[in-house]
Order: sequence, then structure tokens, then C-alpha cells
Amino acid sequence: MTAKWTKLSVATVLATLVFGATIAEAAGVLTIGRREDGTTFDPIKTAQNVDNWVFSNVFDVLVRVDKSGTKLIPGLAESWSISDDGLTYTFKLRDAKFSNGDPVTADDAAYSILRIRDNPGSLWADSYKIVDTATAADAKTLVVKLTGPSAPFLASLALPNVSVLPKKVVEGIGEDAFGEAPIGSGAFAVKEWRRGDRVILTKNPEYWDAANVSLDGVEWISIPDDNTRMLKVQAGEIDTAIFVPFSRIAELQKDPNLKIHLDTSTREDHLLINHEHGALAKKEVRQALDMAIDKKAIVDAVTFGLGEIAYSYVPKGALYHYADNLQRPYEPEKAKALLAEAGAADLKLNYVVNAGDEVDEQIAILLQQQLSKVGVTVDLQKVDPSQSWDMLIAGDYDISVMYWTNDVLDPDQKTTFVLGHDSNMNYMTRYNNPVVKDLVSAARVEMDPKKREQMYIDLQKMAKDDVNWVDLYYSPYRNVSRTNIENFDQNPLGRFFLEETKKN
Amino acid sequence: MHRYKFVLYRPLQFLPVLFGISLITFVLVRLIPGDPARVLLGTKSTPAAIAAIRAQYGLDQPIWLQYFYFLQNLAQGEMGKSILYKIDVLRLITTRIEPTLVLVLCSVLLSLLIAVPLASLAARSNGGPADHIVRFISTFGIGFPPFWLALMLIIFFSVRLDLFPVSGYGETLADKLYHLILPSLTIALSLSTVLIRSLRTAMIAELKGDLATAARARGMPESIVFWRHVVPNSLVPTVNLLAVNIGWLIGGTVVVESVFALPGMGQLLVRAIFSRDYMVVQGVAMVFACATVLVNFLADIVTVAIDPRVKQ
Repeated sequence: MTAKWTKLSVATVLATLVFGATIAEAAGVLTIGRREDGTTFDPIKTAQNVDNWVFSNVFDVLVRVDKSGTKLIPGLAESWSISDDGLTYTFKLRDAKFSNGDPVTADDAAYSILRIRDNPGSLWADSYKIVDTATAADAKTLVVKLTGPSAPFLASLALPNVSVLPKKVVEGIGEDAFGEAPIGSGAFAVKEWRRGDRVILTKNPEYWDAANVSLDGVEWISIPDDNTRMLKVQAGEIDTAIFVPFSRIAELQKDPNLKIHLDTSTREDHLLINHEHGALAKKEVRQALDMAIDKKAIVDAVTFGLGEIAYSYVPKGALYHYADNLQRPYEPEKAKALLAEAGAADLKLNYVVNAGDEVDEQIAILLQQQLSKVGVTVDLQKVDPSQSWDMLIAGDYDISVMYWTNDVLDPDQKTTFVLGHDSNMNYMTRYNNPVVKDLVSAARVEMDPKKREQMYIDLQKMAKDDVNWVDLYYSPYRNVSRTNIENFDQNPLGRFFLEETKKN
Repeated sequence: MHRYKFVLYRPLQFLPVLFGISLITFVLVRLIPGDPARVLLGTKSTPAAIAAIRAQYGLDQPIWLQYFYFLQNLAQGEMGKSILYKIDVLRLITTRIEPTLVLVLCSVLLSLLIAVPLASLAARSNGGPADHIVRFISTFGIGFPPFWLALMLIIFFSVRLDLFPVSGYGETLADKLYHLILPSLTIALSLSTVLIRSLRTAMIAELKGDLATAARARGMPESIVFWRHVVPNSLVPTVNLLAVNIGWLIGGTVVVESVFALPGMGQLLVRAIFSRDYMVVQGVAMVFACATVLVNFLADIVTVAIDPRVKQ
């Protein structure tokens, strides 16, 4: 009897192997390995990149950001005009259809803008409070009136969260159901969402530019473990993987079957300084700290040389980035003298570190060493990441490393958060320069792009002079693909141009 | 059949246990520093926006009131709404329960397939070379961390030999089982080391026991003595050991699901904890608690069925 069972189980295992081994892989379906699965398909209810990066190819927006990440180009709106007082925007919509065949109308666009402003579940309401009315003049003409002029408004319409949704469908099936099985007008449509596993997209034949879409579909597959995700693409089981760890780039570059993509991002890591704490209130002390930090050493250690030294709060690859901004050289001796002059020769700083974050802990140790060379004693206080945020908000720190990534092309959002003294005390730094603050408000309503650019250049210079924080480094998006994949590109705001991607 | 009477009244004892677990999870998850609203909004969150989200999910209410609402929902068969996923927790769990369930079953099965033959081998050569080798391997096996073992299995069987997929979960049943071989093996290799030790000891005791001696005296061949009398009797402590280890096993799935990208409850729980998605953490904890209680209950029934001497 035992022998019989043995035979049977061996046979079962073999049969499983044979039948299981045929993994169906449709030609022209691009598989992308990422860390986490999405959370919802209702664009107004999420602020996570995992969702937004998929939205960009499922939904469409009125205006899009181009590949360089610095220019607005037509999306569902073919053209637009702005009244002289800067209050009225008129959009002409192109002939586009949702994936269910219904036409995209100005009514849908107006509905989507008002919904993100008014819906109680919207995480983005604040960004659209400037909208007074949004109405359909006719089926293809949308008129948006603002309560005041706003230079960044147009750019805010490129955010995937304000994508144009089919009013009839959202109201018909209810927003909860829509959040699970959405209808959009993007290049791909959601076919199936296997929670925790993958989102399966198929080419949307109704997409207005469907003729130029080469892929038959896209699968966003969740593979949380970095090692597994890299092995999966090395084994050829998926076409591409995103979030390649810095430490793996050199090794993967040697694999002839793989291509590494390092696309410019808007991520900037910086050292927050609490301007309200003792000697840190003095500009000279903050400048000395900037001089005492060897950013090159950080770039080399943390990003394996793949990042770049940061020198402006407007990152490289973002609109109005000032490439000639001051870069204080690494001069520990001068920093020491400056500190002594400011009466802060024996400065003691409390550094809040995110425990368990490898990069954060690495930077902390480097900074501690570097600052000790200029006589600054740094006490590392390791706390849980979610606790550190509360401490930063409460001002319970001297220095701490944080990062920021842009999700809109316009610099106003970050500028307001960082210099405009609007909320969160200038990104927890308590930096307060009234001249800078006024310039931030003025730049927001300046409609002349030339003048506006100059204002942002001035802001970058002033922030650098005041050392609102210490700019540390910029880092690129790090993706890997098999060599048969072409045009797998991401713009600095994170949008993947999958409508251009080819699988050979 | 009075031996099985406990089947009727035992479930009544489950209620206070589950109630206690719900209370502990509820309080513990809220004691972790951090805020789901903050995680949801990311680095661009403003105090006003955070307050709005907290109010929307009732997180601004006193904790005892929140717990009362949680119990009220539970009584109606609901577990609240996920802050991260915006859907009912119970629905979310039903989409994620299958991979974990199948993984646990396959792991137990596989660890028995490994443990029973090896333990038999060791017990029958008690003190001989085979015994030493098996004991060495099982001592060695306890030392391997599962995430490391998982990666080694992937690198060897999937990347080098190309026998199994690196990760993921299939569509058809056969495909799913095929995807689960390496994950189950990872757990089974750890679990079986524990089982081997317990089985071996039990078998050696049984081999020297009255039952085996009596059977031998009746002229039964040694192999029949072993398979008919020794194995069933040594399984009793093993079944109980398995039941005790169910908590450990569920913990193991958390690691293994992450490494092998299996869309199960373990992964759901990890992300829920990191996002402070309280409702989901509570829901998953309740399901795991029920599973543990249920498995122990079943183990008791099985024990009684295997060994007529046992009275509950």
C-alpha cells in the first residue's frame, strides 16, 4: 500500500511539473515588476506613486507633461486659452472615447475637476480650492473659472489624480465599485485586478491615439522583495523591474540580457535644520554646516556614485531649475572658523534618524563623522519612521534627513511647502524669511513665464544663502529591462510612456 | 461516544479567547507610534488634511468608543473599511486568503513527507549512522533563516536549473501548486526539523513499548510492527506539536509570501502594519486567531480519534 501511494504522489508531482511549466505569455504584453500592489483605482482617493504611475496609462488628463518633465503638452484638451485677467480657462477637447465606447465630454471633465475639489474622500481638495466654477459650454468646450489668478493651475491639471472620469459610469455604479473596476480613456484599460498580485491592462482600442500603441497589454506585478524582483527579471520571467537597489546596478549592468535605465527624477534628499534651536538660528552657523558636509562622499557611499550633488531645492530635471546656483565647496577648516566666529565652536546637535532605513542610517553615520571634524557633536536618535514625522512636526529635533519628490511640473507646490511658510512650518524647518515668503506669493500669480522664471531663480539663490536646509543629493529612477524592450521611459515626474513602449 | 463530548462544549471556550485577542490587537496596533492618515497622505500632508482623514475614519474618537464600534461591526459580521484600500476588510481578506491557506496545507503535507521517512529511518537505526546523519541534518536545519533559505532555493532551482518559477502565484490549480513548491519547501525544511525530533523520540519509545513487544511476541514481522503500531502511536504527539506550531507556521508565511511574492494574507498584514491600516491589521489578526483556535480544536479531535485512550 505504501508503494502505491509513493508512485501516486510521484506521478502527481511530475504531472504538476509538466502542466505547470507552460506559463502562458502573450506576445506584446509587457510585464513590470514593482514593489507593492496598487490600493485603489479612484484617482482622488490616493496620493501614492504605486497608484499614480498606473493611472497615467489607464486614465487621461486634460494636459500632460512631456518626457522632459518641464513642458505641458495637449492631453484630452487639444488646445486651451487663458483670459487676460488669468481667471478664465477655456479648453477645447479632442474627439476621444472612454474604453466603454462613450465619448469624452466637457461635462465629464467639469465633473472630474469639481469632484476632486468637493468629494469628502478626496485627498487633493486643497490643490483645487482655487477653482470657482467648471462648466461645459458645449460637448467639447470646458470653461474653468478661478477665484484668483494662479500660474501653477494649468500644471495642476496634469496630475493623474484629476484625470477625466466618465461621470455616467462613476455615478451609475458608485464610486466604491469604480475604485475596483474603473473605466478610463487612456492607452490601456483595466482587464483584471488580482489584489496583492497584479493589475492586468489590455490595449484600449478606443484610445484616441491607439494606432500608435504597440503593446497588446501591460501587467504590473507586485514583487515586494528586491532580491526576488531582480532574480525574476534576470531569469527572464518578467520584462522589466523598477526600484533597482543602488547596490545591484553594477552587477546587473554586466548581464548582456539586461538594460539598466537611469532616468532623471525629481527626488532630492536634504538635511532639515531646525531654525528655532539655539545657534542654528544664525545663518552663518547653517552655512558652516553646509560647508562641513562632504556631499560627494555621500553620493559615492549611498548611491554608488549614481546620484548627483544637490545644490538647489528645485531639483535637476524640474521646471526653472537654476543650474548656476551656489555650490558651497567642502571646506571643513573654513567651516570650523565660521562656527567659532559665530560663537558655536562646541555645537551639539540632536539628529533624528529613521531606524531600519539602511540609507538613512548610512547617511547619519557619515554626517556624524564629517561634522565631528569641525567640532560639532552629533547625537543620533534612532526612531521609527512614522514617529520621526511627529517629532519633526513638533520641532523635537536639530537635524534630520528627509526627501521630496515633485508630482506636479510647476515649482509652486514645493516652493510653498518649503519656503512659503504656509503649513508644516516650512517643511518642519521653522525657516522664516518674510522677503522670501512674499516672493513665493508673488511668483504664484505672475503670469509672465520670463519674469516668473527670474523670481524662482532669485528664490533658489535666497534659499541657498539662508540655508533653509542643506541640499544633499539628487537621485535617478532606477529601472531594468530585458534587451528586447524598447522605449521603456519614465519622465522626472514618474510617468511611464507605455504607449510608446515596444516588445520585440 | 462520550469521548467526543468536548466537541460540543469546547467551542464555547473560544468566545472569550477571541474576545481577548480582539482587545489586545486593537490596543497594540494603536500603541505603535504613527498615524494612518499621515501614511496615506505622504510627505506632502498638512495638519488640516490629516485631521480630516482622521475624522472620516473615526480615529479622532476616544479609543474605547472606537473599540465599541469595532465590536458592534464584528457582531454584524463586518470588520470595517480599510483606510489604505478603501474597501471592506472582510472583502479584502477573502481576496487574499487562498494563497496562504494552500501554502500552509502544502507546507504541512510536505514537512510530513520529509519528516516521517527520515524519523523512521533514524528511529529504526537508533544510535546507528543513519540516526546520526538525520539528527545532524535536523539540528543544522533549525539554524537556517527562512528568507535566506528561500533565496538560495530560488537561485538554485529557478535561476540555475530553471525548474520552478522565481516567484508569483498561478491561475489554474496545477499552476498554483507548481508555484507553491519552493515556498512550501522553504517552510517544510524548517518545520520538518522540529517534527523529526519529536517523531524520532516518540518512535523510539514506542519501539520499546509494550505494544511493539507484544506484537513481536505474536511473531509479527518488524516492518509491520513498525508501520501498524509504532507510526500511528507516535503521530499523536506530532499532531499536537503541529497544532502548537500553527502560529509559528502562520508567522513563517509572512516571510515566505514576501520573498516569493505570493498575494496572501501574510503580505497583506505586513503592508497593513507599515501603513498603520488598523482595520486590516485587526481583521487579519482575527482570522489568524480563529485559524489557530480551530486547528487546535481539530488536533484534539484527531488525537482522540487516533488514540482511544485519550480523554478530553
